[in-house]
Amino acid sequence: MGLRLSYDDRSAAVLVFPVLAVLLVVAAYPILYSFWVSLHDIVLTRPLRRPFVWFENYERMLGDARFHTAVLRTTVYTVVTVSVVSVLAVGVALLLNETFPGHKLLNALLLLPWATPSIVNGLMWKWIYDPTYGLMNAVLVKLGLIESYRAWLGDPDLTLLLISNAAIWKQMPLAALLLLVTMKAIPDDLYRAAKVDGATVFQRFVHVTLPALRPGLMLVLVYETMISIRHFDLFLIMTQGGPGDASYTLSWLIYVETFRSLRFGTGAALSYLLAMLTFLLSWLFIRFLGEKTA
Amino acid sequence: MTQQTVSRRTALQGLVAAALGAPGLAAAQPAGAVNFIGWSAAVDQVKLHIAAFERDTGLHVNYENFPWAQFRTALVTRLVGDAPIDVAWISDAWLPEFVEAGWLADIEDMPGLKHYGSETSAYCNQSMTYKGKQYGLSYYGDHMSFMVNTDVMQKAGIAAPPTTWDEVVAQCLKIKAAGIMEYPLLLSLGADTWLIEFVSALSFSFGGSFVDDKGDSVMGAPGGGAVAAAKWLHAAIHTHKILAPGAVETVELNGLRAFGSGAHAFTIEPTYRIRSLNDPAQATAAGKIRPALMPMGGAHGTHDTCGWIRFYGMTPAAKADRARRERTVKFIEYFGGRDTHGDYSLQKLLLLDVGLPSCAVPLAQDSAVQGFWERWAGGGAVIAEQAMKARKKDVISPWFGEWVETSNQAWQSICLGRATPEAALGAAGAKWNELKRAFR
Repeated sequence: MGLRLSYDDRSAAVLVFPVLAVLLVVAAYPILYSFWVSLHDIVLTRPLRRPFVWFENYERMLGDARFHTAVLRTTVYTVVTVSVVSVLAVGVALLLNETFPGHKLLNALLLLPWATPSIVNGLMWKWIYDPTYGLMNAVLVKLGLIESYRAWLGDPDLTLLLISNAAIWKQMPLAALLLLVTMKAIPDDLYRAAKVDGATVFQRFVHVTLPALRPGLMLVLVYETMISIRHFDLFLIMTQGGPGDASYTLSWLIYVETFRSLRFGTGAALSYLLAMLTFLLSWLFIRFLGEKTA
Repeated sequence: MTQQTVSRRTALQGLVAAALGAPGLAAAQPAGAVNFIGWSAAVDQVKLHIAAFERDTGLHVNYENFPWAQFRTALVTRLVGDAPIDVAWISDAWLPEFVEAGWLADIEDMPGLKHYGSETSAYCNQSMTYKGKQYGLSYYGDHMSFMVNTDVMQKAGIAAPPTTWDEVVAQCLKIKAAGIMEYPLLLSLGADTWLIEFVSALSFSFGGSFVDDKGDSVMGAPGGGAVAAAKWLHAAIHTHKILAPGAVETVELNGLRAFGSGAHAFTIEPTYRIRSLNDPAQATAAGKIRPALMPMGGAHGTHDTCGWIRFYGMTPAAKADRARRERTVKFIEYFGGRDTHGDYSLQKLLLLDVGLPSCAVPLAQDSAVQGFWERWAGGGAVIAEQAMKARKKDVISPWFGEWVETSNQAWQSICLGRATPEAALGAAGAKWNELKRAFR
């Protein structure tokens, strides 16, 4: 017996079909095709051969020292960026939740870094860190904290942290706004009740604000983790993965494999590994943080 | 009845062409056009010469250019996609890779182009030749030069440029001791496309090489020239402190600007930069910068340096079609050889306007060319002598593009003190051998 569809179902199918078709062409096909590519040993400069190698690209990359370095760098960068963004965003949201003269102006100013294009943000921080004319050197020398100008981004122990700082400057405002929205939704009754019970400001924050912030915080954690783990533009503009391998993250490794070495097979395999890692982390956040929220 | 079939690629190209109005695709091009692709260098001079070519030959040129940093990727993707390219600027570093991929056509059976070999310097001819076949005519040929700031040397009481890398250290320490500057030596060791030329020049001057005659890696050999050069580099940064640790952050263009500002005494730069370094409109140290022979390093040192050329290469698709081939040959001759008036007009213009040295031997006798070197370099003798000692990169191979990133990382790790020269170059050498084996 054939499937009988009502008039409404058929109308809905007709209306949805164009969008579905576009999605299949622009999203599903490239995703599936790139997976197919990841199963081949494709090097663009060797167009006459493209052997099917099953999961050899994945195997090769998982055993590659550069991949291990990239995972380590990505982890450090993500942990630092997400932690600092989250903590700062909570603080800024708490501040903006108060009413004081100029708080509306501060609200507007907060959006500036977030509205700055990534390229501009990267160049701005690169210039701030510059070893010859950078603002950071000038300020630190004036304050007597350093004796002479330093090549900040040339110091492999600081590179990741300095890039992370540039990312935090840009990403924190959005996180703060997301948390502020959540904070505004906390009923005043809860604070009044806590006050009646003699709770201090700190106790009200820990026992009222923080639990109520959990949905917003989860959103911030998931969003910031997904952004940070795949971050690329700052690395391209500020350090190109260097010096040495100091800022060699997964995104940078994918770029090098795909667009410099033109090894599309391993580049696609790495992209899938990164995508799987991102999904896994997001799932863990939602699974554990989301459960407690419900 | 002849059955005509349309391939999927042709159909897609047609579809895309229709959708985009196809400004750059063959379907929309006038008949008799030459499709030329280059990087964004000397764009004004090239456009001027294209106008002259179109006037003299009646042919049209479709000219596209991309930034150098993205050029190889842009060109490769177009070649893979069968874009209608007739001729392109090619780096000697890509020659084996492109020939093996079937993207370049040789000019052995084109006497109109081939006869220019007798007027081209031997080094340039060799650099356009792969497996005994020549693949084009030169755009320009250059080498890395050791450059000195005579003003700084004079202030420090130094009479002559250093001839060995030990002397470089001694003179730098003297300049430092005089309180003239903290880091007298400037080397652009940022991981950009120039890094391999810088480290090759340094290694060659230490009598070193990266690979042996069989093409196997010797770069990590203890006691080898590359390791000796790397050790010297590490000592210059960490022991003598004559080279800023930030050198690993300095790419060639930034290094050029820093040296032009007069903040350093010695550097290595492509020779063609001498013009902008001595141009008062572009550099405060203008008039004080002079080339010197590459210093020698260690017991087996030489004054050798690293050279390179860029050339006009024809695609096999252009060669296969008689009409396209004729147009392309005319274009290559007009740009890489003599124009219809018998002059090396573009080569001369590129030198006089931009400073790009020519591979054309007859131009060396041209009074305007001699005047150029006199004006911008204080004479052409040192540059000519250094040019004779220029060697092409010994790592040029079909897998060069896949390997060079590993090499850049190795050299940066050495500069940062994160790996010993033997270990870092040994790892780069292992990668080289792995890629070589995989290519067979």
